Amino acid sequence: MIRSIIPLMVTVLFFMEPVFSLFSPITFGDELFTLVPRFVFIFLIFIAAYGRKKDAIVYGIIFGLLYDIFYIDIIGLYAVLYPIISLIAVWVIRLIHRHIVTVGLLALLLIAFLEFLSYGFASLISLTTISFQEFAKGRLIPTIIANSLFVMMFGWFFNKVLEEKVIRRLNDMM
Amino acid sequence: MPRFFSNKRLILMLVGVIVLVALISFSLRDRHNASLPERIVKDVVGFGQTVFSKPAQFITGTIGNIDGILNTYEENKILKERLNEYASVQAELREVKIENNEFRQIIDKQEDLNEYNPIHATVISRNPDQWEEKVIIDKGKKHGVQKNMAVITARGLIGKIVVVTDYHSTVELLSTENRNFRVSAVIRSGTSDDQSAFGLIEGFDRERGELIMRRIDVDYEIEAGEKVISSGLGGIFPKGLPIGEVTEISTDDYGLTKMVYIRPAAQFSMLDHVMVAKRTSVTVDGTDGDGTVSTEGEGGS
Repeated sequence: MIRSIIPLMVTVLFFMEPVFSLFSPITFGDELFTLVPRFVFIFLIFIAAYGRKKDAIVYGIIFGLLYDIFYIDIIGLYAVLYPIISLIAVWVIRLIHRHIVTVGLLALLLIAFLEFLSYGFASLISLTTISFQEFAKGRLIPTIIANSLFVMMFGWFFNKVLEEKVIRRLNDMM
Repeated sequence: MPRFFSNKRLILMLVGVIVLVALISFSLRDRHNASLPERIVKDVVGFGQTVFSKPAQFITGTIGNIDGILNTYEENKILKERLNEYASVQAELREVKIENNEFRQIIDKQEDLNEYNPIHATVISRNPDQWEEKVIIDKGKKHGVQKNMAVITARGLIGKIVVVTDYHSTVELLSTENRNFRVSAVIRSGTSDDQSAFGLIEGFDRERGELIMRRIDVDYEIEAGEKVISSGLGGIFPKGLPIGEVTEISTDDYGLTKMVYIRPAAQFSMLDHVMVAKRTSVTVDGTDGDGTVSTEGEGGS
């Protein structure tokens, strides 16, 4: 059961994303704010930091592909963005001190990067016409805030699960 | 990192990029017809999604109920006042319906653009990266849903079906920025068809949160506050689905036609139960469907 806890968690997070996006967009005062849940992506970054690097990329490809087929109808967008950004996370994590706060911040930074890329792609194929300022104010910042709440609530939990898994694997090897 | 650009990796990367570009352009060209593997994945993921969205909807429903109970007293007072009005309207409606039926029999008219069979569906998810306004519902081809059908809530039209698989379908909401999304609509000002202004709803003003209706003849007199309904002339939607209310009238870019802003009757966030309106009379592929999309794409925009 413990063996399959990571795929199980990714699956649960994958299905939680659209449930939370039913609440979006929220109106606050007169403004409209779009919140994009990136739960799977955050977990991928945590896997890249604490778990096996290969896992992060494989899960990135699989769930990116499912995301593309089920929601976006453009195959090959998130199926590429997820693993590539996980790979970047793997590189960056080698350079910095691996602490839960830094990993959390890295996840948020990479979410911003992902949002930039997806905004670029969406305006390239003219899915959207919003200006960059509108994107930053109405989508990027609210998304970062919402996802930082998620990281704060579940970061330690991801950390614990993944570290336990690594320790177990080390024990098995010995 | 010289190791990264070794020959093998470089070739692998190039092949990857080529495959990626091919995949994206392939799926972009024909986004609204899912291939067999896509359909299978969609249905399987859809079942999983249903498992997760049902409890979530139960929770939001419960919160809604508690909220409702807290407001009961105030609402009850207002509703009581409305009830008297309702009884007389009800009586009048009955009379009108009977009369209408009689007239129909006299002129021997069987089909009615107004009539539709509702297919009840539940929204199981919304497109999480929200570049497009799409939701997925738990009814598909097996339940009689077809592409381009109108989707409504109790308050009014919300969108139309864009992708259908066997057990699920994707709805594009009216609040989309997609200019190829058209609904043929009519503004009811008087009581007869002569006084109604016909036009097409295309586009959504995100800042105002209002729909834009274009291509209305300048001769028509339109006033703010008038009701907008679907006209049924687009070929697929039934007639008479409420869409919204006129808020502002202006002229189009070239001054040849009128352009009207419409406050939508339905809400596009927090959707749960929707109906797919399956029109009973014959459907044709007109402005509601793909009928004009290809020609428009070449000529305009």
